[in-house]
Amino acid sequence: MIRTTDITDITNITNITNITNAATHDRPTPRRTFACAALATIALLSAGCGTVNTTYTRTTPADSAIAAQTRVNALFQEIFLTAKEVRMNRTKGGPMEVQIDVENNGLSYKTFSYRFDWVDPAGNVISSQMSVWKITNVPSGGSTVIRAVAPSDDASDFRLQLRESKS
Amino acid sequence: MRTRLITVLLPVALLAPIACERARYVETGSPEGVITVGNVDMQDILKASSGMLESLAETGVLKTAKNKPAQLVMGEIVNDTSSRFDVGEMTYRMREQLVNTGQAAVVTTFGNTPEDKQAQEVLRREKFLKGETSEPLPDPDFSLTGKITQVKRSAGDTKQVTYTFRLTLTNLRSGLEVWTKTVDMTKLGNKNAVGF
Repeated sequence: MIRTTDITDITNITNITNITNAATHDRPTPRRTFACAALATIALLSAGCGTVNTTYTRTTPADSAIAAQTRVNALFQEIFLTAKEVRMNRTKGGPMEVQIDVENNGLSYKTFSYRFDWVDPAGNVISSQMSVWKITNVPSGGSTVIRAVAPSDDASDFRLQLRESKS
Repeated sequence: MRTRLITVLLPVALLAPIACERARYVETGSPEGVITVGNVDMQDILKASSGMLESLAETGVLKTAKNKPAQLVMGEIVNDTSSRFDVGEMTYRMREQLVNTGQAAVVTTFGNTPEDKQAQEVLRREKFLKGETSEPLPDPDFSLTGKITQVKRSAGDTKQVTYTFRLTLTNLRSGLEVWTKTVDMTKLGNKNAVGF
């Protein structure tokens, strides 16, 4: 849906360029051709930037969406990714589960590592073999869901660490 | 002569700090560690054990056991890959989590090839001295078995390997599989590298 809109925008920009050329009745000079090419490139780049090839049937935030969304998103913004929604639910087995929808609306392929630590109501981090670094990739315009399950029923909050690949 | 010596030694002196990397400690399983294409790395083992534990916790299968906590027998987990590593690297981490948090108790004195033969002998002797003939101890609920496999492919110099960790939990009272989980790891490249 979003992509369709963007393609329309590019077509409009191209049409505007053509109309301008026709109105002036000038033969395009090398400088003007270069300017047009640059404009088209910028238009294409801006069309690519900010679009993600994922859509949802849900239109409102999930019931389990949590208020920490802004803080989680701020962390992802540091590595030029977007946390669209953060959900926390209790699993069938009892412990909490967190799911974060991550979108890459940039132009580069992103590889990053993440680790969830779980915290008990007293604020102490629960030591666990489940708290390990995991690596994931998100292509440009793509999205992924990172998730973690708490090691015990007592865990009430999580702490998230991110690390971006330099490559 | 002196100029020639400087010409030879200067580039060597400049490149030496770049070429060698001093040994240092890194966090176990951190993305900084060495990543190999043709082997199972520590990061892979930690990710597999974490994935298995998460699945066990979210399904709550261990809470369905008759015994509280669930009694678990460690069955055979086969490493069917060309990468040589001890499967215990994964299973002992899982055991640590399950036993120390009270979710399960691992029976180490079960069967003909028990993990702790000495403990089994002591149990048998105690039972004999008390005159017990039945077999009340141990009475496990589940057995854990599994397999680790690989699929290797290549295109030109680029190699791709997918390592698959599979575990299955069988209810020893019904003989039925009550839980199973697969964790995949795919690595692609043409040479080993230091992570990020």
